[in-house]
Amino acid sequence: MAHAIWSGAINFGLVTIPVKLQTAIRTNDLRFNFLHKTDEGRINNVRRCSLDGEEVTYDDIVRGYEYEKGRYVILSDDDLKSVNPEATQSVDIVQFVDLAEINPMYFDKPYYLEPDKRGRHAYALLREALKTSGKVGIAKVVIRSREHLAALKPNGDALVLELMHFADEIVDQSTLEFPAQETPLENEMKMAMMLIDTMAAAFDPEQFRDEYRDQVLAMIEARAAGQVIEAAPAKAPRRDNVVNLMDVLQKSLEASKKDRSGGSRTSAKAEAEADEKPKKTAKRKSSAA
Amino acid sequence: MARTTETIEVGGRPLSLSNRDKVLWPQDGYTKGDLVAYYLAAASVLLPEVRDRPLTLQRYPDGIDGPSFFEKNAPKHLPDWIPTVTVKSEFGRSDTVRFILCNDEATLAYVANLAAIVLHVWTSRAASLDNPDFLFFDLDPGEGCTLATLARVAVALRDTLGEIGLVPVVKSSGGSGLHVAVPLAPQYTYDFCKGFGELVARTLQGRLPSLTTLQRMPAKRPPGTVYLDYVQIGKGKTLVAPFSVRARAKAPVSMPLGWDEVGAMVRKRAKTTEGEFERFTLKNAPPLLAERAALWGGKSWKQQKLEPALKKAQKAWH
Repeated sequence: MAHAIWSGAINFGLVTIPVKLQTAIRTNDLRFNFLHKTDEGRINNVRRCSLDGEEVTYDDIVRGYEYEKGRYVILSDDDLKSVNPEATQSVDIVQFVDLAEINPMYFDKPYYLEPDKRGRHAYALLREALKTSGKVGIAKVVIRSREHLAALKPNGDALVLELMHFADEIVDQSTLEFPAQETPLENEMKMAMMLIDTMAAAFDPEQFRDEYRDQVLAMIEARAAGQVIEAAPAKAPRRDNVVNLMDVLQKSLEASKKDRSGGSRTSAKAEAEADEKPKKTAKRKSSAA
Repeated sequence: MARTTETIEVGGRPLSLSNRDKVLWPQDGYTKGDLVAYYLAAASVLLPEVRDRPLTLQRYPDGIDGPSFFEKNAPKHLPDWIPTVTVKSEFGRSDTVRFILCNDEATLAYVANLAAIVLHVWTSRAASLDNPDFLFFDLDPGEGCTLATLARVAVALRDTLGEIGLVPVVKSSGGSGLHVAVPLAPQYTYDFCKGFGELVARTLQGRLPSLTTLQRMPAKRPPGTVYLDYVQIGKGKTLVAPFSVRARAKAPVSMPLGWDEVGAMVRKRAKTTEGEFERFTLKNAPPLLAERAALWGGKSWKQQKLEPALKKAQKAWH
């Protein structure tokens, strides 16, 4: 079972319904890692100061708010904590409104509220009452230390808590150019309606798939299957000079063994003779440094 | 400064030390006396590493910022108690080179007194000069190479060797790079070992094409890569001995490392590699030496054979 974001309660009036807040939307994005093109090393992000060019550790990073160009107000973690709403772990319903009254653009992200054993009866009652009334609860809720506006909506057997945008997050339509309302010509309207009718269907979300994702996944599978051997780091690519070298070594090893069984081993005397060819390395450094 | 000479006794031998207050590291203020003191402190772990190996001195008579020279031939007035090994010159002329063998504390103090900051040794020992007793890779980070890249390459080299049953040890070069060595039974020729090193280096380069290079010309190496140097395997070629001091600011020493340490470097974010290795210096290293020695020598130093490794390579890397 999914891990709940929190366990708390729906509160309205004197009623408390124990619930768990659960994720309702799975993010299906394909996740890619950035790799170094030539050796497939993972790319690290380095935080670098724009003034001295030095890498900066998290300990030395503070949050600054640019209140005018180039001027910042620094806020510490403690500053922000002092403003953070208390994690009340509750859905506090402040009013009930008609669903139709809410512009759908305000809805942002849904969560499921799953009833606790003790709250099942009250949960079902609230759900049925909302359905019958055609209303939704407007609530405040804290998720991951941020307070949100949300709507509590019946949805099948579930109560869904849908986070909402605040009014100032919605871009005002008057800032863009839209044609004003007009009365269309009858014929034109008829044609448009016909066109719509021919394309009308029952909405079936299952029929739409993220085809881009499917295709990229298919590509990944094919590559992974086809390149297992090439990608495994343990196997070096065959290199002819390496193979030849092994043959040469084998022969030289065999030759030196014959030598040894026939003649005498290298003299154990300190006086030894160099058998190297003349080399012009007279003054050059000859040591591994 | 007036020249001073004092006589100390090392290992039962009187040894005259000159100018022990001479500053060899101007930025750090370390003197020749500090160098001698360090090498004496390191003697018990350093001597087993350099014993019977022809020694090349890198001398800095005027300190690390002054001119330096490599000295293979033992000085004319070498005390007669210092053993040497005479090898036909690698330049093909009839003359020979008489190398110092640094087998005791007194010799170590003697060479330190010559301002021989860096000790370079052969990879074979006098009893068997034609047969190296280890195979080594010099991992040399190029311009723009990060510590994490160097560490990744080193770990990949260890794993590559591991695939064919070889267990390497690792140390800092004391400069910017790492030395990875496979201890060997001294029974293979230099040519064979060099070929074997090339095989491993080429295999690793094939696996990490963008992190490594086999380009010998520094100017042609791609930036940000590690040069896999296997060409230092050869008779007369040397590497900086473990525990040797380097002629660099802070006086870093070449220090054995644990593979877990190198593995942890993969996650470090240093842009350059030196800082990581500069933490071991002539000043602070002595108390760490006994523990560090166990990472390179002792039980970590297992003489290995290359025949089974070659057989495995033929199977695994084909």
